[in-house]
Amino acid sequence: MKLEIRDVAHTFGDRVALDGVSFEVVPGVLTGLLGPNGAGKTTLMRVMLGVLAPLRGEVRYDGRPVRPEDRRHWGYMPQERGLYPGMPAGEQVVYFARLHGLARTEAEHKARGLLEELGMADRWRDRTDKLSGGLQQRLQLATALVHEPDVIVLDEPFAGLDPVAVASLSESLRQRARQGCSVVFSSHQLDLVQDLCEDITMIDQGRTVLAGEVATLRAESGDRQLRLHVETTSREWLGRFPDVSVVSDQADELRLAVPRGTDPLEVLDAARASGPVVDFGLDLPTLSQLFLAAAGPQPRKSMKVA
Amino acid sequence: MGSWWRGTALVFQRATVETLRSRAFRILTGVLLLMSLGAVLVPQVLAQETKTYTVATIGAAPPELVSALDASGRAGEFEVEYVTGATRDEVRTAVREGDATVALAGDTLYASSTSAGSFPAVVAQAVVSVRVARQLAEAGLTPEQVGSLQGIRPPTQVSVGDLHNEARGAVGLAMGLVLNLALLYAGGTIATAVATEKSTRISEVLLAVLRPGQILVGTVLAVGVITLVELLVLGAPLAVAARIRSDFALPAVATTDIALAVVWFLLGFAVYGFLFAAAGALVDKVTEVNTVVQPISGMLLAGYLLSFFFIVMEDEAHGFWSVFLSMFPLSAPVAMPLRWASGEVPVYQQAVAMALTAATAVGLVVLASTVYRRALLVTGHRVRIREVMGGAV
Repeated sequence: MKLEIRDVAHTFGDRVALDGVSFEVVPGVLTGLLGPNGAGKTTLMRVMLGVLAPLRGEVRYDGRPVRPEDRRHWGYMPQERGLYPGMPAGEQVVYFARLHGLARTEAEHKARGLLEELGMADRWRDRTDKLSGGLQQRLQLATALVHEPDVIVLDEPFAGLDPVAVASLSESLRQRARQGCSVVFSSHQLDLVQDLCEDITMIDQGRTVLAGEVATLRAESGDRQLRLHVETTSREWLGRFPDVSVVSDQADELRLAVPRGTDPLEVLDAARASGPVVDFGLDLPTLSQLFLAAAGPQPRKSMKVA
Repeated sequence: MGSWWRGTALVFQRATVETLRSRAFRILTGVLLLMSLGAVLVPQVLAQETKTYTVATIGAAPPELVSALDASGRAGEFEVEYVTGATRDEVRTAVREGDATVALAGDTLYASSTSAGSFPAVVAQAVVSVRVARQLAEAGLTPEQVGSLQGIRPPTQVSVGDLHNEARGAVGLAMGLVLNLALLYAGGTIATAVATEKSTRISEVLLAVLRPGQILVGTVLAVGVITLVELLVLGAPLAVAARIRSDFALPAVATTDIALAVVWFLLGFAVYGFLFAAAGALVDKVTEVNTVVQPISGMLLAGYLLSFFFIVMEDEAHGFWSVFLSMFPLSAPVAMPLRWASGEVPVYQQAVAMALTAATAVGLVVLASTVYRRALLVTGHRVRIREVMGGAV
């Protein structure tokens, strides 16, 4: 069932946190809510979960305004650890399952199955604060997934994880999406999640700056770069393409910016005509580059480029 | 509503189990139990030796008298030994020199002026009983009839305390102190629990599936039950000892006072529990809990100290300030039990004070829920009340 965020606005006193953000989360598609720190991602997620009431706009689910009982079938993983430090791991998962409406027996059954899947079956009785950071992250994920939610909302799930843990979490999310879940997660590490996102919504200073399918956004971007290793020093052939500019020209690599309207294959053919081309490639812009192009030139220290 | 209670019950259950499991609870319970058992057992240990009295008689003591004194000894937890002398002077000397507690010579009973206590009265009663039985038998009554007459017991003696007596006042004072400490302990526990949930962002997950009121009520109820258990641990050995041991008694009217104190504890808990919870939501780090609860703890302590001053020290249970403190909802939970134990309080004042406190508690639940819900989402700095009571958050 589709989740729709429509024109959501929210303020904290005089400070505008969200200013008319809209996007959709479609079942089976991994959707990234991206932007630098302070962009309004967490506030938007809190609005989606009903923790905050929006000043304007609405969250719709299955074609109607979302109801509190709908959220019992959602799973939420906050940015920081939302776990009871002194509680045994298994008990913790069972507790959150029961909060989402599962009976005790069913909750225990599903908790055991999920911890098994996440490689934590032998940690059932361990106190949460005795687990490593990575295991706590997995446990946090388990509390969000144990009731087999229809919608999964994760706030900065990859923050602080090593590459192995990122890969493992990514696979878990892909699996849930394949099963038909609506999965939305936020991240300020744009390029880290570039390969995971299928749809994205980029927000900055509370406003949507870019939204759509990642592959389409990258392909349609005017920031494409053609990378060539041409065994000739002559660059006269470039004269046929006045819109193409040289990004860098080094001994083993010539990098060209190919704007929308110019076919990269024609540029490649011209290069081959001038001399042997031993290597080439078309680089689409990264999510960071897309963000910077969409949001403007001002520096954004809080945004990480992996 | 069913769903509301289900969620609240889950919060209550988790908070209860977590607290029972905590090291702090185990240590506190152990200390309270030791204190309570100590209060009961230490005096008993100190008075462990069975008292032994010695009766000096001229010639062998009559068997009927020995039998009667043995029976009294079993009931009164003392033993009786017998020494004999040949003459009145000998048995009297035995008493004077400390070899006997009492001496029986004809119709005279010599008693030690220093160590006899109530034993001479017991011996005198036994002598009278033996002689009456003998005369009744001589008058023709059967042994059964004599036994029946001897079986007549005096009415059960019940001490009736003065409405204004020192023992009762002391109980009231102790109750006030215990209530105050219990509320401070429970308040600190509640504030810490809320602060922990906020600082670990658990509250965010909870708020996605529960209403703030559910989390608040579940947590406060859990700590309330735990605190009552602690009070039970503290009070149970004393109450049991008072029931089963003749040498250990609470003041005559203390039972009513205790029952009233429990009611006021619950009312006080309802008022202060939610205030402490709201205070816990204001922190940014758990270490700030002590700072944010200070105004509430101070209010509670001030209520007790002022009540102690006006009701106990100034002895003005009916004075303006005493009445005011026992009616004002924020001080009534500690002031009213104190005033009640210090003298007579009109029933209507009790009822009005309880109604006012209960109404205040309801109002504070609403207020605390608002503060709690708004403050939970403000992080990065300690929240000021103005921040959450002002514009929308």
